Amino acid sequence: MAETNTVPVPPGSPKGGSESSRLNFDPLGFISTYGVFITLVACIVIFSVLDSDFIEIDNLRTQLGLAAPLLMLSLGLTVVLAMGDFDLSIAGTLSACAAAIVVLIVNHDWPWGLAVLVGIAFGLGIGAINGLLVSYVEMPSFITTLATFLILLGVEYMISDGRNITGAADMPDLYRDLGIGKPEPFTEFTSPVWIAAGLAIILWLLMSKTELGRYMYAIGGNSEAARLSGINVKALRALGFVIVGFVAVVAAVSQTARTASSIPRVGISLLLSAYAAAFLGAAASRKGLFNVPGTVLGVIFLQAVQSGLTILGYDRDILDISRGSILVLAMLLTALGARRR
Amino acid sequence: MTATAPATLESLLDVSGVTKRYPGVLAVDDVSLSLEAGQIVGLVGKNGAGKSTLIKIIAGAEHADEGHLELNGEPLELHRPHDATDAGLAFVHQDLQDVGDLSVAENVMMGLGYPRKMGLFVDWAELYRRATEPIARLEADIDPREPVGELSVAKQRLVMIARGLAQQAQLLVLDEPSASLTDEEIEHLFAAVRRLRDDGITVVYVSHRLEEIFELTERVIVMRNGQLVADEPTASLNRSLLISHITGHEHAQTATERRASRGVGSRPDTEVVLDVDGVSADTGVHDCSFDVRKGEILGLGGLVGSGRTEMVRVVFGADRRQEGSVRVHGQEIHGNHPAESMAAGLALLPEDRKTQGNIMDFSVRNNITLASLDRHRMRPRVPAPLPRSEKQAADRRIDRLSIATPHDRQLVRLLSGGNQQKVVIAKWLEQGADVLIFDEPTIGVDVDGKEEIYDIMEELAAEGKAVVFISSEFSELVGVCQRVLVLHEGRIVGELEGDEVTEPAIVEICYSQH
Repeated sequence: MAETNTVPVPPGSPKGGSESSRLNFDPLGFISTYGVFITLVACIVIFSVLDSDFIEIDNLRTQLGLAAPLLMLSLGLTVVLAMGDFDLSIAGTLSACAAAIVVLIVNHDWPWGLAVLVGIAFGLGIGAINGLLVSYVEMPSFITTLATFLILLGVEYMISDGRNITGAADMPDLYRDLGIGKPEPFTEFTSPVWIAAGLAIILWLLMSKTELGRYMYAIGGNSEAARLSGINVKALRALGFVIVGFVAVVAAVSQTARTASSIPRVGISLLLSAYAAAFLGAAASRKGLFNVPGTVLGVIFLQAVQSGLTILGYDRDILDISRGSILVLAMLLTALGARRR
Repeated sequence: MTATAPATLESLLDVSGVTKRYPGVLAVDDVSLSLEAGQIVGLVGKNGAGKSTLIKIIAGAEHADEGHLELNGEPLELHRPHDATDAGLAFVHQDLQDVGDLSVAENVMMGLGYPRKMGLFVDWAELYRRATEPIARLEADIDPREPVGELSVAKQRLVMIARGLAQQAQLLVLDEPSASLTDEEIEHLFAAVRRLRDDGITVVYVSHRLEEIFELTERVIVMRNGQLVADEPTASLNRSLLISHITGHEHAQTATERRASRGVGSRPDTEVVLDVDGVSADTGVHDCSFDVRKGEILGLGGLVGSGRTEMVRVVFGADRRQEGSVRVHGQEIHGNHPAESMAAGLALLPEDRKTQGNIMDFSVRNNITLASLDRHRMRPRVPAPLPRSEKQAADRRIDRLSIATPHDRQLVRLLSGGNQQKVVIAKWLEQGADVLIFDEPTIGVDVDGKEEIYDIMEELAAEGKAVVFISSEFSELVGVCQRVLVLHEGRIVGELEGDEVTEPAIVEICYSQH
């Protein structure tokens, strides 16, 4: 045999020769790990340079207030997504609850607290039904929640007759405070921002710090191995849907209290953004897992882009195209890294 | 049929000075070898010895850092996996890579372009006809119209081999092709492989089952620590010599020697901890009764498909039980709830560590503590695990089981098969069950790793735990178990204890059932 072992043969791979890359700076690896961060920072810098209004504290306050319902939905989705399930019905629950609560308060003069309680019971019930069907009857989550989503849209139409219901005058101030009030010692932001932040902290603790969270990620990783390790897979998956149901009601309350109205199909516009935020968050994490801080980052990202383009005076069409393109860009950077692993 | 040493002139594939480094590891270290046409070559070595990496380099899935390949005397440049296929190299991996919903014919002809009618529609008749050819060469009884997913594992492997034949492969690499095949199916596989050899195809056969290497191959290549340490005609080797090449140790024990040296005798006269009575289930378990005592290692023998896995799954409550009772420490287990069985002191280490044993994307630490997480709480009433406490527990197990991992936060996916198995074991040791059921714990584990797993089971028994050990390699049962139950078609058909436990005796019971 001809001994040619000292001659390094580059087999057509120009990138292949970096064995000791642990110590060297690896730009592609850096970009892929922090792709979402980089794009976010880039966007913020660009928007700020183009229009200094963008980084004004007032704009920040407004934008966070607007993003709060989206953040709530995205956080709920993060829990089911971490277990490998989808929940599309979240938008239906939000819409139906929003309509129901507003109709009860405005048209039927219910005390707002009672209306909210009915809403919460409704949301938990929808979550329980989804959980039962998906987890115990073992129906696929995507199609099951798509079905409940459609049903809920019908229910919403029944309640609202497909009309905007507005009633700022008929709504008690205490209820409006849930949407626009600035709670006493913390007057920096409106209530929804604080509620969303509280929800984020609670779900972050649940997902990253508790036994339940560990079990949920185990289910997402390998539900059979999780079951054989003694984890109650069915109950936890069902719990995920119940959490989503609850979160949808909280979002419905924030939304209706802020606008003093219920807008038909209000959930649908949030649905896709909520998934986008959760997936962006997963892409931003090192292990590619759905996670609460990542989702928060994803929501901020989407809202920043929307706000920046709006301030610059762009219309809806440019807005959508840009949001989509930036999403693709962020995912692309992540995928580049994943391919090399 | 030639069984001479390498370096004849008509070599098919020449590998020269191939070296591959991963961060911190020299996976393949200056390997040179030459494969002739029409030979069956065994490739053996421990997990992590570099076999897989070498194969990946030949397949074009990895690039060598140094060295080069030549095919039929021409330099072989592999940039993409497809290049290897085009050059006539075919690979059948252990994890089946077929498309289950597609027909046999579609799988066989995949990547070759399906025959067309009017340039657009698939010409099914022609497709089936063309696929029949390679299947016939294997003398396999497979209908090309059938969906691959409905075939047995053995037939699916043959379909993968047929794909290689359809691609006009000159070299066929079979990676652990006999895993989860019955003896009869293995014989059929061997016959097919020999026919290919006679047609002038070179077959590289990778296996941890040394019996198969001796039965089938003409030449054996042994890798250890990335280096090629032996390349000899099979006829010049014997089992213990081969094992010493693989491990680098001088002497290798036979199962009977091991049994004698460890003083494995009859089962101890202690209290019964697991009592299974008349258990049946619709997964094919019929009226199984047995008990296991404290400190005992009970072996479950039988052919693949004899119902051992199904039986222990029902006992553990992984599957629903129709009839019978299971008691642990006299306490009745109602079944179908793993958590209930675990609380009673029962643990099942499942057969497939990838799909059932581990969460592959979890760290070593999080896998080890998964079944006992409530023991690491910050405060007894706060269900939040303390990372420091988890780390301590994990590090202790990593140390005691010598799990080869850079640190406890490494993803289990990145460990070798044997170490993944040890992580499963660590999880259940940590959980602290009194009765541990090991289902095929040594599959795909190398010689040293197997010995370590036997040691673990013996230590457990010495500590007063009860162990149930399922293995299709009967020599393992002989080396370790005081008592062996033999299953056939979901029933317990034989029991051997003490001196009766020998390989021929187990085989005799297995085959006298037909």
